[in-house]
Amino acid sequence: MTEQEDIKVFFSRNIEEAMDALYGTALRLAGTGADAEDLVAESVSKAWSAIETLQDRSRFRPWIFRILHNCFVSNYRRKAVRPTELPYPEDGDDGLATLLNEQPDEFLIWWANPEREFFNNVLGDAIVAAIEQLPEAFRAAILLINGEGLTYDEAAEALGVPQGTIRSRMKRGRTMLQKALWEQARDAGLAGPGDTNRHDK
Amino acid sequence: MNSKTESDKHEDIGCLQAIEAFYAYLDGELEDPKSISDFEHHMSHCRSCFSRSDVEKLLTERMRQSASSEAPQELRGRIRRLMDEL
Repeated sequence: MTEQEDIKVFFSRNIEEAMDALYGTALRLAGTGADAEDLVAESVSKAWSAIETLQDRSRFRPWIFRILHNCFVSNYRRKAVRPTELPYPEDGDDGLATLLNEQPDEFLIWWANPEREFFNNVLGDAIVAAIEQLPEAFRAAILLINGEGLTYDEAAEALGVPQGTIRSRMKRGRTMLQKALWEQARDAGLAGPGDTNRHDK
Repeated sequence: MNSKTESDKHEDIGCLQAIEAFYAYLDGELEDPKSISDFEHHMSHCRSCFSRSDVEKLLTERMRQSASSEAPQELRGRIRRLMDEL
């Protein structure tokens, strides 16, 4: 097998293995199936053209997700069909205390002692809707790590940000996600304040 | 006596510090053995944090299931044709 054939076999196999993850991420970023398919196809084409930039084959996943994300930012972000997003909080190495201090007491009481039963009953659609409300930077980090199983290091490479930023986005993003789920449940009359056994704030 | 000796090996981190480490721990990103040990020790004796951790794990699992999507056959065919042209 020539070197070129070997690269092609490697590329094809890895694209095939990553196809569901690429499509899932593209769908949550772009918002429609048609755009997600175009985004994946365009990313695969760009990736093959740039295959020589993949220095370490073990880094294929963060490399291909970075191409997908860049392609989304360049060509799809502007026309993405998106629900109204939550306000974008600034990235920062702020502690949890700061984050919690920004939240309403009613949410914090519930957050400090959430009912497992509540999350058992949350429908998949509600979780997807809550994820889609997140600002893009937080949504992308959560999708890559919790949705597709990338490590923080891989997600940092895929999104082109330092690992500390990923850590911060995960902490904030997950809290925002729970707040969105809590608000959905509260609006549906399913969640009131929890008991008063709170964490130190 | 044994439990006191065991307990002395761990720094008694508070709830806020434990929650700070939640996501890194659950995502397998907490690498320092002492941080892992202190976190697990806190979880072993703080019912409230253990309960939160349990809920976080459940939510992570639900997210993984809910956010995953299967690529449509049309897309797979399109990519195969693209590969054939490479």
